[in-house]
Amino acid sequence: MQHSIKDDYINSLKNYTNQFKDTNFRRIACNDFKSWPGPREETWRLSRLGSLSRKKIKPINPNFKKNNTNTSKLNGSTIIQFIDGAFREDLSSDMPSGVNLSILGDSESLEYLQKIKKSNLSNHPSTNASLSCTPSIMKLTVTKDTKVKDFFEIIYEGGENSQSVHPVLYIELKENSSLYLIERFNHLTSLAMPLQLTELRNKASLNSIKIFNDYKETHNLSANCAYLSEKSNLNSFSLIKGGIFTRSETHAYLNGCGAKLNLNGIYISGNKQHHDLTTAIYHDVSDCTSKQIVRGVLGGKSTGVFQGKVKVAKHAQRTDGQQMSRAILLSDSASANAKPELEIYADDVICAHGATVGELDDDQLFYLNSRGVPMNKAREILIKAFLEDIINQSVDKSLHNFVFKEAELALSSILTKEKSYNETL
Amino acid sequence: MSLLEIKNAHLKLDDKNILNGVSLSVNKGEVHAIMGPNGSGKSTLSYMLAGRDGYELEEGEILLDGISLSEMEADERARSGLFLAFQYPVELPGVGGMSFLREAVNSRRNFLGKKELDHLAFVKEARKEASKMFVKDEMLKRAVNVGFSGGEKKRFEILQMALLKPKVSILDETDSGLDVDALKIVSDGVNAQRNNENAIVVITHYQRLLDYIIPDFVHILSDGVIIKSGGPELALEVEKNGYSGLINAA
Repeated sequence: MQHSIKDDYINSLKNYTNQFKDTNFRRIACNDFKSWPGPREETWRLSRLGSLSRKKIKPINPNFKKNNTNTSKLNGSTIIQFIDGAFREDLSSDMPSGVNLSILGDSESLEYLQKIKKSNLSNHPSTNASLSCTPSIMKLTVTKDTKVKDFFEIIYEGGENSQSVHPVLYIELKENSSLYLIERFNHLTSLAMPLQLTELRNKASLNSIKIFNDYKETHNLSANCAYLSEKSNLNSFSLIKGGIFTRSETHAYLNGCGAKLNLNGIYISGNKQHHDLTTAIYHDVSDCTSKQIVRGVLGGKSTGVFQGKVKVAKHAQRTDGQQMSRAILLSDSASANAKPELEIYADDVICAHGATVGELDDDQLFYLNSRGVPMNKAREILIKAFLEDIINQSVDKSLHNFVFKEAELALSSILTKEKSYNETL
Repeated sequence: MSLLEIKNAHLKLDDKNILNGVSLSVNKGEVHAIMGPNGSGKSTLSYMLAGRDGYELEEGEILLDGISLSEMEADERARSGLFLAFQYPVELPGVGGMSFLREAVNSRRNFLGKKELDHLAFVKEARKEASKMFVKDEMLKRAVNVGFSGGEKKRFEILQMALLKPKVSILDETDSGLDVDALKIVSDGVNAQRNNENAIVVITHYQRLLDYIIPDFVHILSDGVIIKSGGPELALEVEKNGYSGLINAA
């Protein structure tokens, strides 16, 4: 990014945080924000923020009167609504028993900052920018032994052109509790920087679906940090389809024996979209399992990135870590990058990874053609099957249709464009 | 008029001549067998007929019921009534058997100007035909050919043939990988579809299949040309003397 603009942005954060004491979490976060990541930083090499530099962006001052929400909600779900990065109690549901939603005070916010700073997200721009100027850190707590029956939906909307929004969330599932959470990012802003810390206590279980469907000009730099205790279970699925640039970065720390993690994702990219799924899984103790399936479909001049790191510490024996990524390119101008990384220091582990980037399989296309199915329909059938398979594995049966339709919408616009492109050849 | 007419078909793959002037006329109600040693061009012939990319004719012509196939893509040929049963049926992970069959059948029905079958009507029809081919319901719920045994894959091919009711079916080494029992089921399935309106071309290495699907004509393909044609007795001659005797004599 150009120097002046990043300085502008950081200066505006400084101006804002100067009103707080040196020891305030906002000041600390802001002081840590030295610069935007550049292409020389290994994890940002494939996802460059250059296009942001052409925009003049300022952190938003949330407008609490805005109440136009356009996201249609699922039937019977409990809603948590954010607009302009700020929690809106007036537009959210009452919490069911066993679930608390609260605003963190200064000292708790400082603890939050310290927890994030212990992770490898400490220098992520969303960590420092969002902690500097978020309206408030919201904490969602599920109390011990509470199994929340209804789906929870967190809806992120709002924002303005040339402004950035900063929703910050802390999710804690106490012992033996469970929650099914669907997050939908529908910002209409230049830059969204959601930050999230998740802590799963012993035997807690979180199912999480994130659907990134921001406005077509939005940059979304989502940063997520998850700590998994003994026998806890995080089953996470992301669908990235919106924005001009969406990067969802997740760092998951398996630090209780027997913890299980699924970290699956799909990106569907067209036009000049850039979509990035970056993950790091840290097996810090023995007997944990992590599984990851990532699939991408790319058309137009889009680019996709999957970076997946699995680090197995010396004492993390009997780790089972699997990772598979596959991207299908539908146009000559689309490109996909996959960067799997395994760092294994233990000797008794099962770890496997595979990454492929390619076109649709000729044999499969011909087989469908030979049964009378035209080429465009054959491509559509194969791509849908490619995505449906992982959706079925990753999300609750009752949500298959909802998630698949969300994917289908993005897909059909890409396929229509590729169809007309192919027909002109 | 022949139902399938291959006229002087020439085809090159990677600059190598594979078909060097194949001519064949297949009439309604007939079953033709094309036999030949490895590398004689049998599978190339079947891909060429089905219209696979890269298997375009250098010279010659193919007519299906009097209409030239040369300008047609594979899907159009299939809708026009040409069917290829694959030697190695392709796995389609994530594509359910029933919806695949329905897509295929409705493509053909659309072409014929018939109304698409609704889901229930189709399922009924598919199950009826499937039971004849000993294809269980459970198999139709699975992804196409995924985890199917060799016999199941071939039965599923013939089930497709039964549902699509093509004018001309090309069976490419349908006997490969089948045990005797499976061979009988598949052959019975094929025989059940023989009628006076369609035609079948069986491509095979071995005479064995022709004990079950009895051809009207047998052709020997060698080096991309048909070197000899005759009745079913020709297949027996191959079985007795091998291909080399015939090729040397030609």
